[in-house]
Amino acid sequence: MTYLDLPISEIHAALMAKKVTPLELVKEALARAKADKDNCFELILEESAIAKAESLGEPQDNPFWGIPYIAKDNFSTKDFETTGSSNILNGYVPLFNATVIEKLDNAGAILIAKSTLDELAMGGTGTTGHKGITYNPYDKEHNHLVGGSSCGSASATASGVVPFSLGSDTGDSVRKPASNVGLVGFKPSWGRISRYGLFPFAPSLDHVAYFTRNVEDAALALTLLSGHDDNDMTSSYKEVEDYSKYLSKDAKGFKVAIIKNVLDSISDKTIKEKFLETCNSLKERGICVDFVEIDEDLLKAIYPTYIVISCAEATSNNANLDGIKFGPRYEGDTYQEVMKKARTNGFSELIRRRFVIGSYALMRENQEELFLRAQKVRRVIVNKVNDILKEYDFIYLPASPTPAPLIKGSSDKLSNEYLIADNHLAIANFAGLPSITLPIGFENGLPFGGNITGRAFEEGNVLAVAKTLEDITGLKGLSVLNKEDR
Amino acid sequence: MNFEAVIGLEIHVQMKTKSKMFSNGPVTYGNYPNYEVVPLDMAFPGTMPIVNKQAVINGIRVAHALNMTIDRELWFDRKNYFYSDLPKGFQITQNARPIGHDGYLIIKTSKGERKIGIERIHLEEDTCKQLHFNDYTLLDYNRAGIPLAEIVSRPEIRSGEEAMKYVETIRSIVSFLDVSDGKMEEGSLRCDVNVSIRPVGSEKFGTKVEIKNLNSLQNVKLALDYEIKRQEQILLSGGEVRQETRRFDEAKKETVLMRVKTDAVDYKYFTEPNIPPIKLSEEFIEEAIRTSNELASSKMERYLGFGLNEYDANQLIQNRDISNYFDECMKLGANAKLIANWIIVDIQAILNKEEISINDFAIKPSHLVELISLIDDKTISNKQARDVFNEMLTSEASAKDIIKKMGSSQVSDQSQLLNWINEVLEANPQSIIDYKNGKDRALGFLVGQVMKLSKGQANPGLSNKLIKEELDKR
Repeated sequence: MTYLDLPISEIHAALMAKKVTPLELVKEALARAKADKDNCFELILEESAIAKAESLGEPQDNPFWGIPYIAKDNFSTKDFETTGSSNILNGYVPLFNATVIEKLDNAGAILIAKSTLDELAMGGTGTTGHKGITYNPYDKEHNHLVGGSSCGSASATASGVVPFSLGSDTGDSVRKPASNVGLVGFKPSWGRISRYGLFPFAPSLDHVAYFTRNVEDAALALTLLSGHDDNDMTSSYKEVEDYSKYLSKDAKGFKVAIIKNVLDSISDKTIKEKFLETCNSLKERGICVDFVEIDEDLLKAIYPTYIVISCAEATSNNANLDGIKFGPRYEGDTYQEVMKKARTNGFSELIRRRFVIGSYALMRENQEELFLRAQKVRRVIVNKVNDILKEYDFIYLPASPTPAPLIKGSSDKLSNEYLIADNHLAIANFAGLPSITLPIGFENGLPFGGNITGRAFEEGNVLAVAKTLEDITGLKGLSVLNKEDR
Repeated sequence: MNFEAVIGLEIHVQMKTKSKMFSNGPVTYGNYPNYEVVPLDMAFPGTMPIVNKQAVINGIRVAHALNMTIDRELWFDRKNYFYSDLPKGFQITQNARPIGHDGYLIIKTSKGERKIGIERIHLEEDTCKQLHFNDYTLLDYNRAGIPLAEIVSRPEIRSGEEAMKYVETIRSIVSFLDVSDGKMEEGSLRCDVNVSIRPVGSEKFGTKVEIKNLNSLQNVKLALDYEIKRQEQILLSGGEVRQETRRFDEAKKETVLMRVKTDAVDYKYFTEPNIPPIKLSEEFIEEAIRTSNELASSKMERYLGFGLNEYDANQLIQNRDISNYFDECMKLGANAKLIANWIIVDIQAILNKEEISINDFAIKPSHLVELISLIDDKTISNKQARDVFNEMLTSEASAKDIIKKMGSSQVSDQSQLLNWINEVLEANPQSIIDYKNGKDRALGFLVGQVMKLSKGQANPGLSNKLIKEELDKR
C-alpha cells in the first residue's frame, strides 16, 4: 500500500506535510497504468503528467492539488487525441478542454490517462469500444464484464491506478460499472456540473459523473466540479456548497423508499439478502425505511423509453461526424457518398443500429407514436418518482440485479429482471436527480452495489445518507490491490 | 380564363450582431475564409450553444414592427439533415414556437394600400458558405452561425409588384431597426418565393413552385411576373404545373428549373436539449421595444410634420443613414425644407457619383447646418453657398471659416450697395416707371441687375430693401 491508495483527504494531508510529492504519486499511478492488463486506456499521458507534477511548486491547500486522475475519453482534452473510443474520431485532437478538465487542471489535479468506453458512450457492457473489450479487474481470468459505458475509468480506478476518475452517465454508465467493481459512482443533478466539452450522447440525459473509492472523496469532487458555466446554458446558477460538511450530518429522521417491485424482480438471493440487511441497519440508525410500489408497466417502460429518447438524440448529436469536418476522409462523387463512406466505416455496426433506431423514431410518420410518446412516458415516470420523493428523502435500491455478468452470458431482454432491475437507474437520468452507487457486498469475490437517489439539487443529503450506508457496510477504499484483506 | 397568383415569401435576414447566434465567434465580413470561426461554429464535439441576447432583442424588435404576437418563452428546435454546408448535421432553429407569430404589414402599391399577413418570425443560424467548382467544393465557415431571422408571409401576395413592395418594406424595417444591412445583393437579406396560380374565385390552391435566391428587388418582381405568365400558359394549353424549385436567370430574365420536388424533406425536428426554455419577461420585451430605433413610417410622419412634401420626405426615408443624417441636422435647428433639398439633390448626387455611404460623406451635419443658416439669413447667396459647399467637400473647415478665407462674403455695406443701386436705377428708367405702375416684377429685375453689377456679392435681401426705399424716394 502506498499513499496513492489512501482517501484523497489523507493523500492531501501527506502532500501538505511533504511526506509525498505529486511527482511520486504520478510516477506510481503511471507505473500502475502501464501494468494494465484489462484494456483500460486509450492514451497514457506520461510526458504531460510528469511535466505537470514537476511544475506544481509548493503545496496548495486544495484537496485535488497533486492528485493523479483519469478521464473517460469522451471528455475533450486540449492537445490530446480524444476519440470517444470510436474509429470515426481517430486522430481528432481537440482545441479546447472540457470545463471539468479545466477545473481539475486549475486545482492542480494531474491527468495521467484517457480511458476506454463503449463506443461514443453508447452501451453498458464495456465491450464495444474501438480497442475491444475492457475487463473487470476482479476477475483475472477475464470472464466478467466491467460494465459501461465508463468501463476504462471504472476498471482502472478499481485497480488502484488513481483515487478519482471522470466518467459520464446517460442511463447508468457510471453507477452500473461502479456496482460491478466495488466503487462509489456518483451522478449529481442534471445541470449541477457543466457538460461543456463532454461528447454528447443524449444531452437531455447526459451527466458528468465520476468514480471514487469512498463517499468523502465524492463530496470533495462535487465541491470542485459544480457550478454554473457560461459555456453550458443548462448548467445551474444554484449556489455551490461545501459538500463535505454533509458527511457529518446525522441521517436520523431521513425517510427512505424501497420500490418493492424492483426488488421483487431480482432473483439473486445474496444481493437481496444483503440489501435487506442494510435496510435494517439503516432503520437501526433512526432512518425510516418503507416499501412503495410503482405500476409495473411504468417500470417496464423505462428501457424502451430510454432507447427511443437516447437513440433519437444520439443520431442528431453525432451527425457532425460526417467525414467532411471529422472522421476519415473518403473520396466520392457527391457529398452524400463522402458522408456515407465515412459513417459506414467510422461507426461500428452497433452504433449504426442505434442511429437507425433514433432516426426511425424521429421520422415524421413515427414521431408521434415513438419519440413524442417516449417523451410523455418519461414525463409520467418522472412525475411518479418525484411524487415518491415528496414523501421520502431518497429511493434506495440494489444498483444491479447481479454482480458483474459474464462476458459470454446472456440475459432475457424481456424478463422483468432485465427490464426493471437492470434498467431502473435510468430513472435518475430521466428526472435529472442526484444518484449514487456504493458497494454493499460481495458474491463469489465480485462486488455489488446499492444505489441511493435523492431530490434534485439535494446532493448534500444524498452524500449524508450514503456516508451512513458506507459506515454500516464498512466497504470503502476498495480496490483489487486490497482484495485479499477481505 | 382569368387567373390570380398566390404568393408567399420567406425572407432570411442576416443580423448585424457582434457575435454569432450560438457562439462567441465574431460576425465580421470580408475577412479571409475560415478566420472568423470558433470551435462551436465547426461543430467540434462537446461544444454547446449559448443564445445570443442581442439576436433575441433584434427578433423582438422586428416582431413588434411587424405587429406580431411575441412569445413569452424562447424555445429552440433541431432541424436535422445532412448537407455539406451544415456543420452540426442539424440547424438550431425555432420550429414549434417562433419568437413572433400572426402579424401583418401594410404595403403601398400603385393600386393603393394592402395588408399582408405574416405567419411567423423565427431565429436561427446561418450555414457555411459553399463555393462550388467543377470537381470540388470549398467551404467557408465564417458565415456559419451568423444569426438569422426568418420571416414567413402568409400566401396573401397577389402580384410581382406586391411581392417587391413587401420585400422593400421588410428591408426598410430591418435596416431602420439596425438589425441588418438588408443588402440583397450581398446576401444579408435573402428571399425565397412560393408561387402558384388559380382561377379567380377558386378557393383551392394550385401547385406551387419555389423560386430561390432572388438577389434584388427588381428580380423579385421580374421573376414573379415571368413565372406567373409561365404557369398561365401551361394551364391555358391544358398542361399541369409541376411542383419544382426554380431559379431566376438574370441574363435571360426568366425562371429556370433547378430540380423537381419529390416528397418534402423530413427534418425530424425535436426540441434542442442543450438550450433550456428561456422566459422573456415583460420588462425585457418592453425594454427591447422602447429602445428600438425609429421606423421609416414613423419618420415619414414626422417629416411631413416639418412641412416637407411627400416626395421629399419619401426620398429621405429611402435610406436609414440618410434619414439619420437629416435628423442630426434637424436637431441642430436647421430649416427643414432647405436642408432636405440639399440632401436630396446636392449630397445625393455626390454619394451616387462617388458610390459612398452618407456616413463617409465629408461634410458633417453641423457644418452643413451652418452653411444653410447663412443662406437662410441671407448672409450669402445660393451661388456663393454652392462655392462654399464645394470647398467644404475637401476641407474640414466650417462654412464661416471658408467664407472668410475665400473673401466671398456678401457685401452688406449700405453705401457700397447704394452706389450699385443708383448706377442700376440710372441705367433703367423704364423699370422705375413700371414699378410705379404697380408691376412688382420690375423690382426683381432691378435686384438681379444689382447682383450682376456686384458680381453676385451684393446682399440680395438688403439690396431688395434699399432699392424699394430709393424707388419710393423718386
